[in-house]
Order: sequence, then structure tokens, then C-alpha cells
Amino acid sequence: MAISDVAAYAHLTPEEVEQIGRELDAIRTEIEESRGAADALYIRRVIRAQRWMAASARIGMIVSSPMDKRVRRPVVAASGVMLGLAKILENMEIGHNVMHGQWDWMNDPEIHSSTWEWDTGQPAEQWKHSHNYIHHQFTNVLGYDNDIGYGVLRMAREQKWSPAHLGQPVYNALLALLFQWGVALHDLDLEAIRKGEKDPKEMKRQLRQIAEKGRNQFLKDYVLYPALSGKHWKDTLKANATANLMRNVWAYLIIFCGHFPDGALHFTEEELEDETRAEWYLRQIYATANFEGGPLLHLMSGNLGYQIEHHVFPDLPSNRYSQISGRIRALCEKYDIPYTSGPLHRQYGQVLRTVMKLSLPNHMTKDDRPPTGDDVEVAHGRIRHEDRQVRRTELGAWSRTG
Amino acid sequence: MVAHGVSARVSGGTPAEAFAWEDGGWSRRLVTRCALARVCGACGTPLGRPIAFLGDAEETARNAFHAPPMHRACAEGLQGPVGATHLVLTAGFEFVRPGADDPDTRVRCAPNSLL
Repeated sequence: MAISDVAAYAHLTPEEVEQIGRELDAIRTEIEESRGAADALYIRRVIRAQRWMAASARIGMIVSSPMDKRVRRPVVAASGVMLGLAKILENMEIGHNVMHGQWDWMNDPEIHSSTWEWDTGQPAEQWKHSHNYIHHQFTNVLGYDNDIGYGVLRMAREQKWSPAHLGQPVYNALLALLFQWGVALHDLDLEAIRKGEKDPKEMKRQLRQIAEKGRNQFLKDYVLYPALSGKHWKDTLKANATANLMRNVWAYLIIFCGHFPDGALHFTEEELEDETRAEWYLRQIYATANFEGGPLLHLMSGNLGYQIEHHVFPDLPSNRYSQISGRIRALCEKYDIPYTSGPLHRQYGQVLRTVMKLSLPNHMTKDDRPPTGDDVEVAHGRIRHEDRQVRRTELGAWSRTG
Repeated sequence: MVAHGVSARVSGGTPAEAFAWEDGGWSRRLVTRCALARVCGACGTPLGRPIAFLGDAEETARNAFHAPPMHRACAEGLQGPVGATHLVLTAGFEFVRPGADDPDTRVRCAPNSLL
């Protein structure tokens, strides 16, 4: 369904829709005009803290190596947890937000969307395409947004069921445990590769990038740092694996809680290009869900507990989302539109229920969210490849590499 | 892979060769993709610093450009061929979708830290 077909939208007049757009524009302008030294200080502090955490964790594992087992083991365990927290902070609050361009205005050569490379399996370039463009432009649009189940899970009733989905609870657990590698393959568009529709040159280029990044990640955590720990290399290797596991499960949890709780809607709109700014804002609000918690929880989740605010303003500094969330909630209440929010455990409970229910055919379960439309069914994979590497006939070449 | 900030093939090229150019103009879909995915509208590879925009006097005065973000070298190469009178450098920009009552119905990029 198009945004204008959403029941919760139907009571709004076109003038009201545009007025909502204007009010959101005003919030955006206010933040843009006030961002400055305090914001720059914030992100620099977070980066400095993250680096100290990562460095102390790595050093802890190395210097404890010659120590007695009774001292070494707790130090290595604490270092592993510290490294996991450092990786979470780097991926969520720093990497994700820097690559959105939230801090480009600082003109810092390092804290810039064009230069940041993060501590995870997916190359930054591919993330900026699959996330910044595909996911944020086509949020929750079936067949466009590959974040709806990551090409592995059936997360919308409109996605065609097959017996393979019976294993969905297991795939879900595996996706959580191996999340960085699932994300690493996210931009490849495996369905297009399977159908032979992917530009072979581009596919090889992307695979080479992933292989290089993956190799470096592997060497760092499973060869170099364990080797520096000498004869107790296994302890360091286990601690690093634990750190990666912590980051994988946490990133999965936060990302899934942003779009799959019951209140987040799906869309099947075919023509998105003529969507106005106000309609785009509204689709972002309908397609996302917040979770509630204290400042530490929001910091460690990259401020994605404010998923609605992030989707409405993906390139505003993340430290400002808490500041504007009350106003956006009030705006939603004023116009009687949903502002989906709840505690993290409840949001994830709804996600898990959806995973379980959608492993079965639709007639065996009840829908927990408003239907996307009458008898809508889409195939898996991207039905419309917004990023497909089509041939440019005038050039006789593929669009990406021609 | 082309190094950030360096154009390997568009410098001095024709607009039709540019990544975000389709059917005689900047493609709305590809300008959106370039702006959000942070790739150069000329060569299609990741943007570097500074980011360049091509436009005319009015776009420069409004600080709103219809052309996609580009590498500086790519923009310099395309400036003549696309007939742009102005080249603006910035560290960052906002991507702006048009509103329903907006007289300008095209997507545009607004530099936020001019250099």
C-alpha cells in the first residue's frame, strides 16, 4: 500500500500532511542551526573513550599473559567484555552515525563519512549503499528494503511462505550469532546473483572488498592479538571471539527492534519517486519503532532507541535525538498518528513472536499488525533492484563500472 | 578501484558518461542514490573530501544544488561540458526532498560547511 492508504493516515487532510512536514522541517532547521562545538566535543569524547576501552582491553590480554592463572583468567575475561563494549560503541554510536554523514559538517578529516572504516565485516562503501540509500530511502517497502529479514527471514506476512521457513527460529538465532558476516553480504544482492542479473564485474569487485575486509578482521582478532599473548594465545582468541559475539548479538537486537515490533508497518508502493517530503517523513514514522531506556542504553545502541527520530532525520547528529524525541512524540499525538515505542524487552518479544509466527503459513496464525493491503504477496529478494547494475545502452556498459 | 578524491575517467568527459546522468539530465533516482550512499555523481565511486557541487548563480545563492555530490576533480572535468558556472566545495551537505508546495520539484543538496 502507498503511504496515503495507511489507515492511520487516512484521517489527515493533505493540508495537515504538509503542516506536519513543515513542523518537522522547523525542528530540523533548529538543530542544523544550533549544531556546533558542543556536538563536536561530544563525538570526540565518545571516540576517545572507545579507543581507550579497546586499547586497555587489548593491552590487558597481552600483559596478563605471563601472570598466574588466578590473576590472568579474570583479567582476560574482563578485557574480553571491555573489548565487546568497545566494538559495540564503535559500530553503533560512532561508525553507523559517522557513515551517515552526521558529523561531516565538522570538516574533520577522520570523522567523516568518506573516510571512516568500521570494526565489522562489511566494507564501509557497501554499507553506505545498502543502509544509507536502500534502507533509508525505501524503508519497510517490500521488495525494495532488504532489511526486512535480511534475505534470510520472513518478517512480513506478505512475503511468500515456503516450507524452508519452518526453520526460521534457527536461522534467526544463527543470524544473531553471526550478524557481522550476514551484514557483510548484505549489499551483494544474492538473489540477483542467483538469477544471473548482477553485473559480474561489480560482483567480483564487491566480493574482493568483502574478502579483504573479512581477512583483516579475522587476522586482527584471531591471529595478531592472540600471537602477541604468547603461550596463552588461546585465552586471547576466546576473549576476542566473545567480544565479537557480544557485538553481533547486540547489533542484531537493536536493529531488529527498530523495524519489527508490531506497530511498524510495511509498504508495497511501486512509485516512490514522487513522494513529497512530508509523505516521506510520515512513512518513516509509520515504519519504525523506538525503545525506551536510560542514557547509557541509548549510547550503547547508537541512539537507535530513537529509531523514529533517526529515520526522520538520518543525518542530524545522534546526540540530538533525545532532545527532539519529546517534540516528535507530541507532534504525533497532536495529529493522532502512531508513535511506536516501548521497553526493549517488550519490543524484542514482539520481534521474536513475529519470527515464530511467520515460520508458519499465514492461515495458521493471526496478524499482529495492520495488514499491508488486500491479498498482497511478494517474492523473496528484491523485486525491484534500485541498485541493480543495469546496462547503459548509450555506453554499452554497466552503470556502476562503465 | 579509483582512489578517493581522484577522477579516473570523467575528467574532460561528456555528461552522458557521468554516473548520475540519464536522458539528458541529472537523474532524480541516481542523484538520490549518490547523495545518500555517498558516491560521486560523475564517476560512481565513493566520495572524498572536499565534496564538490556544480550549479549556476541561482543555485549558489540559494545554497541548493540539483547536481549530485562529486569529487573535486570530477566536478572540474564536468563543469564545462554541463555548462555549470559555479563550483562549490563543502565538507558536508543535507539532502533535501521537495515538498508538495515547493516551486522547485527536484531533489537537491544543500552544502552545510562551505570551504
